[in-house]
Amino acid sequence: MNSISRYQLAAMLIITDVFGLFCLSVSISLMTLYGLLSAAAMQFLLSLISVLHGGRSAKWQHIIYLLYAVFCGGAVFASLWRTSGVIYIPYEDRNGIWGRLLTAGLIALVCLYSSSTGLRAVSRAAVIAAAAGLLCIIIDFASAAFTADWENLFRPEKQGFFYGFARGFAVSGGLGSFFVLLEKTRGERSRAAVLYFGAKAVLTAVIVLTSLAVAGGIVSVTEFPVITAAQLSQPFEAQRIDSLFLVIFISFAAFSVTLQVMTGAYLLKRIFPEFSRWRSCTMTVLILGAALLISGRELIMARAAAAAAVLIVSAAAKNPLKNSADK
Amino acid sequence: MEKSGLLPVLDSSINEIRRISGGSSDVLINRFVTGGIHCALLCCEGMVSTSVITELIFEPITDIPEKHSAAELFHYINEELLLSTDRPEVGDYDTLFRLMNSGFAVLLAEGMTTGLAFGVQGYAARGVDEPSGEGNIMGAHEGFTETVRVNMSQIRRRIKSPELVMELFAKGSKSYTDLCLCYMKDRVPESLIEKIRSSLDDVELEAVLTTGQLRPFLENGSFEIFDSAGTTERPDVLCSKLIEGRAALFVDGVPYAIVVPRLFCESFQTLDDYAFKPYYSTFIRWLKYGAFLAAVLLPSFYVSIVMYHPELLNSTLFMLLVDAEKKAPMSIVTEALFALLMYEIIREAGVRLPKPVGGAVSIISGLIIGDAAVNSGLISTPLLTMTALAVLGGLVVPELNPQITVLRFAFIIAGGALGLFGISLLACGVLVNICATEDYGFPYTAPLSPFKASGMRDTAVRSSVKKMQSRGFTVEEYHE
Repeated sequence: MNSISRYQLAAMLIITDVFGLFCLSVSISLMTLYGLLSAAAMQFLLSLISVLHGGRSAKWQHIIYLLYAVFCGGAVFASLWRTSGVIYIPYEDRNGIWGRLLTAGLIALVCLYSSSTGLRAVSRAAVIAAAAGLLCIIIDFASAAFTADWENLFRPEKQGFFYGFARGFAVSGGLGSFFVLLEKTRGERSRAAVLYFGAKAVLTAVIVLTSLAVAGGIVSVTEFPVITAAQLSQPFEAQRIDSLFLVIFISFAAFSVTLQVMTGAYLLKRIFPEFSRWRSCTMTVLILGAALLISGRELIMARAAAAAAVLIVSAAAKNPLKNSADK
Repeated sequence: MEKSGLLPVLDSSINEIRRISGGSSDVLINRFVTGGIHCALLCCEGMVSTSVITELIFEPITDIPEKHSAAELFHYINEELLLSTDRPEVGDYDTLFRLMNSGFAVLLAEGMTTGLAFGVQGYAARGVDEPSGEGNIMGAHEGFTETVRVNMSQIRRRIKSPELVMELFAKGSKSYTDLCLCYMKDRVPESLIEKIRSSLDDVELEAVLTTGQLRPFLENGSFEIFDSAGTTERPDVLCSKLIEGRAALFVDGVPYAIVVPRLFCESFQTLDDYAFKPYYSTFIRWLKYGAFLAAVLLPSFYVSIVMYHPELLNSTLFMLLVDAEKKAPMSIVTEALFALLMYEIIREAGVRLPKPVGGAVSIISGLIIGDAAVNSGLISTPLLTMTALAVLGGLVVPELNPQITVLRFAFIIAGGALGLFGISLLACGVLVNICATEDYGFPYTAPLSPFKASGMRDTAVRSSVKKMQSRGFTVEEYHE
C-alpha cells in the first residue's frame, strides 16, 4: 500500500457515507438532519483524540476494525438488495436469491479487481467518482432550489432527534477505514479529519435538505426518501435524469464495498503477516457472508453501536513504547 | 555474428567476409593498390551514394603517395585527408558488417587488424512529408520520416539548445536497428532517463521493426487498457513534449517517435489549440471530451435505456423509439453489435485495401449497405443514428480509437445484459484501470486525479499563452 493524499482519503470515505445516506429508509425530517449533523460532530470530536494522539493502532484494535469492515461491507450489499426495488437492476427481482447473488457477485468481481490495483489507483478513481457524484448532487439540489416547495422542510416529523443521531452513526461506514487509512495519508492527520468530517457534514445537509424539499409531501410514505427525491427532482420538464443518479448510485456501492475489502485485506496482513495471498478474496467472501446474514434488515441500532465502538476503540490508550518502536 | 578481430592478411580477411555474408550479392568488394599497399573498399550496394563514394573516397584515396606500411597509410588518411565527417574505426567483423549495412564504406589494408569506415550513406528514403495521422490546420506541415537521422535533424532545427541530448544506439540482434533516445537534460530528471535506459536494456528482440515492439518495454507490465507511452509523427508536437520534460525514442525505419510519459489529457490536446483564441480552444477541448464519452457510451446507454429503463425517456421519444424498434427483427443488442461490427469491417477493409479501391469500398459500403440495412428493416434508424454518432465521436480522438472501439463493444454487452447497473459496474472497472495506469511514477490521469490545480489551466480550459509562459511547466510536477 502506498501513501495517499487527504483529498483522496476523504473522497473514498465520503463515497461510503453518501451511499449510506442514499439508502436511508423510513421518514426523514429536519430533526433527522440535526441528528445526522450532531453525530458527525460527535464523531469528529471523538476521532480527534486518536488523530492527535498519533501512532499506530494495536493488534486488538485491528481486529475490531476488521470486524467492522466486514459488517459494513455486508451492510452495503444488504442496502443494495433492499433498494433494488426502486433502483431497477435487471434479473435481481425476477430471480430471487440467485438474482441477488448475481448482482453481489458482479460487484464483488469489480471490487476484487479494484483492490488488486492497489490503494493509490482506487483512491485516484474515488476522487473522480466523488466529483461525478458531487455534480449529480449539485444538479439535483439546483433543480430542487427552483422547483421544490421549501415549506416541506417544516413538516411535522415522526422520528425524533435521537433516532436521527443513531442513524448518523449507522451510515458512517467509512469510520473504521478512516482510522486504518489515516496511517497511509500524507500530511497532517488533523487536516485530513477536518476535511473528511467537514465535507461529510456539508453533503449530509445538502442531501437531506434537497430530499426534504423535493419529497416533502410523500416523505412519510416513501420507503427510501433520498432515492425518491432524486427520481422526482428533474431539472428538465420533458426529460428525466435518473440515469445519472442510477450510475452514481451503483458506482458508489461498488466503491463502498471496495473500500471495506481493501481495508480488511490490509488489516488481515497486519494481524496475520504470514497471510500474504488471497486476502482480498477472503475479505470478499466474509463480506458476502455478512451480507446474507444481514439481508432484509436495516439494523440501525446495531450499526450505530458498531460505529460507536470503533470510535471508542480508536480513542483507547496506546502503548507509547510500542508506538515509538513502530515509528 | 563473428566477434573476432579482423585478420591481418587481406585475402584471408576478404574470404572471411565472403564466408560470413554467404557470398551475398549486395556486398561489394573493390580491391585496389594505393600508396603501394594492397587495399579493399567494402560497401553495401544500395546503401551508399555512388557519387559521394567516387568523389570523396575513391578519387583522393587512389592519389596517395607511396607509403612504407599500411599503418602509415591509415595515419595519412586519418590525419591529412578529410574523406568524411563520420569516421569510426572497425576492429571486428561484427562492427564491420553493422557499419557496412548502415551505409558506411569500410577500408581494409594488407597487414592491418583494423579498418577505417566512412559515412557515405545514400540509400533511397522518403522525403519529409505532411503527417497522415495527426492533422493540423495552423501548425507546420512536416512529419517524421523513416530515417532516424532526418528525424533527429528535424528536432534539432526546432530546439537549438545544447541541453537537447540525442543518444544513438542499436537494438535487435539481427536487425541492428538504430534507436535514438532524445531528451532535454535540464528538464528531465536523470533518474527517469536511467529507468528508461534500464527498460531498454531488457530488449532482446531479434529485430526492431516498429515502435509497437518497444512500447511494452517502456510501459508498466500490468494490464492497462490505455497506453502509458504515446507516439507522435509531428516534430513540433515532439518538441513541445521534450520541453515539458518528457523523453522520446526514435526507431530507424518508423516515422513515429515514442513519448514517455504520456497522460490521458494529452489525447485531447493538439498544437492547433494554441493557435486559436483560448475560448475557442476550450470549446473544442470540451467538444472532444464529450465526443469521447459519446463514442464509448452512447450506443450502450441507448441499448440499456430502451431495453430496461424506458421510464427515463419522455413520452414522445419513447413512442418514436417503440415505433422504430418494433419493425426490427433482431434484439436491440444484436442490432447494435451488428451495426458496429459492420462498421469495423468496412473500416478495416478501407484501411487494408489499396488507397483508390479503399475509398470506393468505404463509400459503397456506407451508402449501399447502410441504406439497404435500414430500408430492409434489419436495423432501426435511431440505432443507426446512435452508432454513427458514436463512431464519429471516436474519430475526433484518433489516438484513443483502439480503446474506444473495444470499450464500446464491452459497454454495449454490459448495458444489454444488465442495463445501467452493468454499465456502471464496467465504468467503475475501467475507471480504476485508467487510474492504475502509471509509467515511471507518472499517473496517467494527472492532473485530474491526483488533482493539480495548476495543470487544469491546460486541461479543463486552455489559458492564454501569456499566462502559461511564466509557468515553466515540466511533467515532473505530476510525479508521485
